[in-house]
Amino acid sequence: MEFLDYFANVFTLYHLALLVGGTFVGIILGALPGLSPTMSVALLIPFTFHMEPESGLILLGAMYTATVAGGAISAILVNVPGAPANIATAMDGHKMAKQGRSKEALHYCFISSFVGGIFGVVILIFFTPPLAELSLKFGTTELFWIAILGITIIATIDSKSVIKGLLSGLFGLMLATIGDNPVLGVERFVFTEHLTGGVNIVVGLIGLFAMPQVLNLMENYYSQKNIALTPKGSSTLIDSFRYVFGKAKALSIGSLIGSVIGIIPGAGGQIAGLVSYDQTKKFSNNSANYGKGEPEGIVAAESANNSMVGPSLIPLLTLSIPGSPTAAVLLGGLLIHGIFPGHEIFETNKEVIWTFIDSLILAQFLMLFIGLFLSRHSGWIMKVPDNYMAVGILVLAVFGTYSIGNSYSDVLIMISLGTIMFFASKAGFSAVPVVLGIILGPIAENNFLLGKLIGGARFDGNWILYFTTGTINIILISICIISIAYGVYSSRKPKNK
Amino acid sequence: MVSIQVVSQKTNNMKQYLKISTLLVIAVALTLLTISFEEVLNPKPWVDNEDYLFPRFISGGIAILGFLLFFEKGANSKATNFKDLLPGLGLILTYILTMKYIGFYLASMILFFAVVMIYKKPEESTDFWRVCIFKLGIAALFTLALYGLFTEMLHVQPPKGTFY
Repeated sequence: MEFLDYFANVFTLYHLALLVGGTFVGIILGALPGLSPTMSVALLIPFTFHMEPESGLILLGAMYTATVAGGAISAILVNVPGAPANIATAMDGHKMAKQGRSKEALHYCFISSFVGGIFGVVILIFFTPPLAELSLKFGTTELFWIAILGITIIATIDSKSVIKGLLSGLFGLMLATIGDNPVLGVERFVFTEHLTGGVNIVVGLIGLFAMPQVLNLMENYYSQKNIALTPKGSSTLIDSFRYVFGKAKALSIGSLIGSVIGIIPGAGGQIAGLVSYDQTKKFSNNSANYGKGEPEGIVAAESANNSMVGPSLIPLLTLSIPGSPTAAVLLGGLLIHGIFPGHEIFETNKEVIWTFIDSLILAQFLMLFIGLFLSRHSGWIMKVPDNYMAVGILVLAVFGTYSIGNSYSDVLIMISLGTIMFFASKAGFSAVPVVLGIILGPIAENNFLLGKLIGGARFDGNWILYFTTGTINIILISICIISIAYGVYSSRKPKNK
Repeated sequence: MVSIQVVSQKTNNMKQYLKISTLLVIAVALTLLTISFEEVLNPKPWVDNEDYLFPRFISGGIAILGFLLFFEKGANSKATNFKDLLPGLGLILTYILTMKYIGFYLASMILFFAVVMIYKKPEESTDFWRVCIFKLGIAALFTLALYGLFTEMLHVQPPKGTFY
């Protein structure tokens, strides 16, 4: 019960203010269609740079929790999920809103998100330390393969085409090699003075997530129509609590599936919501009503996508492999505060990490209270015009990027990367593997060069043997191959039907 | 029938764009690969060949995957609506280039105003001056809020120019 020792740290006035502010802003940002949790957390990271590590992480954690839950507001009122995690919520949520029961749907959404969220954090508390112990057995070659595995899994799951996903991951790795070699210190691929410092992780995050969104909003400005419904209905809060807690089956299926999917590296909330919705439908007595405004569908989807949040941090904190795209961005947040995932995290940064995890429990309660309050007044959030949103994101992205190192070059890199990503996304490339490549690139290269040196000495110059022998190495290489094979299989599956 | 032909021609064009961009990816990968070998061809005493080993593997991987992508079936890309995108891109470029001369806050206010004036829907009020003053007010409020939050409260410094 070590986590209880640090609970008091969360209850300082400053941390409470950060939690309330992060949750409030997170729900609003999550509710804005097109502003994903990943982008919101990426935009916030530079502003946490000047804070103490635990304060920065508390803010980012509150934002992560709140944006995932807030995405349900636009899914219900506009039928446009605020985040991919809320796709399943829109299926029944918007139908309920059309029937004049939007207030009820929003209540169900925040109550089940709360239950799922608490379940997920409990899983995070009890599963992280044992997995961190396991990472003690990891040497240089294992860490190299872990970095490659992280990129491979995200690349194969997040993209429709395995080739494009892997290309995106390699592009990210290539970007990470710009600047000084991490071991030998020689400059590489510095064609202009702006690239001397390489591509900063946070600059890459903001450029790759925020800029394409700005350009998307501008490109589709005239074709998007605002069809937001206003929250209405006669349901009381007590009735809603009774209904959700009466749906124990849907809540348990949702929370369990969400947690398991959260732990699987790279899978994320979208898969959690959809799988849970599908499974609850199979076990439900009202399966015929699913897709026609069945509240059970909302309970299943929302409990799943929020229970995914906590467990998605387990592989992140222990093995540097994020459990979801937003967790990948959080990895950037950890690194800029000098916190390196692995077994040392519970030795060197014990207080920071337990305070962060404890704050996630409080974030669930705040998400429930602020979410229920905001959902009553959420109609105006949906009315923010896209042109105001685009310019707001752009200015914040530029400010955030500049503030990292007071460097104009960073702003140029951010804008260039974002514009390239916008056009690349048109061709089906995804930003998530690129980001992971930038984050994990230095870890992969460092361990590759060190492993090569050690392997060369141990195996008479045949260093490849050092990388391909040993139980953990073989397991990691096998998972890499299986994930690529599974990606190829699943991308071809629909065509065979 | 005509519309089917137009759609099919558009799809073919999209596929062509994708092929061209794939070739560009391969070209970039091969260029980087060549640069990484430059140190081997023209050895410099302060550069170790190992420095480029990791990027060499990556660019090799990009080139191989690029070739595979070229022959991938069903590969397609979405069309870009340049008509609506170009004004925005132009404004962003101007903003970035002028920011360091006139300062972040003034540049941001001008950008905000320009974007909401250029991107406006036909159903908006036709009274030009009224709309203009309203949007200018919103742009000024947004900039003031940014200044208060970041410069005054968080003490984060933006790019400074002649007009701050």
